[in-house]
Amino acid sequence: MRAERPAALPIIALPIGDQDVVHAAFAWNLVVEVARLGASATLLAPADSAAASLWPPSGRGPVGARLELVRAENLRELNRAALDVAVSRAAEARNGGVILARVPPAWVNGASDGRALLRWVLLFAATESKDLRETYSLAKRIVRVGPGSRIGITIHGARRIEEAERAFSRLADTAQRHLGHSIVSYGLLVDDLHIYRAIVAHRPIGLEHPQSRAARALRDVAKLLLDDAQDYRLG
Amino acid sequence: MVDLTLADPPRGPQLLERLRTRLSEIVPSLRLIAESVLGADSNIDFVGVEATGRVVLIFVGEEGDDLELIGRAVAQRAWVEPRIRDWIQLAPNLGMRPGAGTRAVLLCPSFRHETEVAAAALGDQAVSLLRYRCLQNGGNLEILIEPVAREIARSAAPTTPDHSSRPAFRTGLSHEDLGLTPEEHVEFE
Repeated sequence: MRAERPAALPIIALPIGDQDVVHAAFAWNLVVEVARLGASATLLAPADSAAASLWPPSGRGPVGARLELVRAENLRELNRAALDVAVSRAAEARNGGVILARVPPAWVNGASDGRALLRWVLLFAATESKDLRETYSLAKRIVRVGPGSRIGITIHGARRIEEAERAFSRLADTAQRHLGHSIVSYGLLVDDLHIYRAIVAHRPIGLEHPQSRAARALRDVAKLLLDDAQDYRLG
Repeated sequence: MVDLTLADPPRGPQLLERLRTRLSEIVPSLRLIAESVLGADSNIDFVGVEATGRVVLIFVGEEGDDLELIGRAVAQRAWVEPRIRDWIQLAPNLGMRPGAGTRAVLLCPSFRHETEVAAAALGDQAVSLLRYRCLQNGGNLEILIEPVAREIARSAAPTTPDHSSRPAFRTGLSHEDLGLTPEEHVEFE
């Protein structure tokens, strides 16, 4: 980790639907894994009653991971709130860290306000064609709003590594061909039963089953994000 | 890295036994109150009650049973609904409420497009589809249950005009929101 503290922690936007409990659980577990690695970790999300079922109680959670529910009605307001949190957390982050910001997908549209929030985006994608199509569509929307966005993909739901690699290649190749945009791989989440159980129990996998394949895979993704976070500071 | 392998599901009572323990995790606030209830000429695999007092009828099928299952679900809902008041009188502590309705939950390894169209036509409040998969996880056989996201072509569901605006994807976006060109669409066929 760098000794020099940045003015603001990097913000990674996560487009997640209001009812998407699986991806929301990935996000929260990822934040916990970042915290377990000793870095500052905050998940920020709009305080939206329609999406209330996605999250555990807000505030300081396990191993210092935080969930912040903020008032935001659009991308601009969410961007402003995320910046505030990124700056305040940077002041106290001795070992670096990241802010993960849940973005309602419907907010990723042609409006330019708040596009800075989409500078770095992480998308979760299952390996089925329908999920890949939807993820590609999100990537397309993001590129339209912010052509310079860094878009990362974490694959889940694969039974074999080769299956995950094929899924990522389909997305990356299609994005390159039709959007002229390079997509970055942020690894693979193993579709382990622990993930489903953690979703049901609202308990982080890394604390309940730290040696499980699911926890180790999450930790790998968290490390990738933190590694890139050191080189990807806010301008 | 991954040594989970897909496995054939157990059959009959063993399958029901394994699903029983998972159902209340997957269907929010569900409390199972009966099993193998003889309804309209066939059995309802599980009967449960939600916190709202709504009765939930659960049907379990094997690969290829999905179309038959949705027919049974429609028939059994029609059979159960007029009997709910009687059940409440017989067992008032079970939590059923008159007027809270009845819904069916179908579990199968996979669902054909026709079944998904039929379920969509009946509506979310009437029928839910859950897909189960069995995984060999070391020495354990585990069952994963996932809701089936509905992706119904507009032309395939002409009786439900609101489907075009109903989110069909995890993201909550609709088909129109996806905004893919035919060429992009083909990439993911």
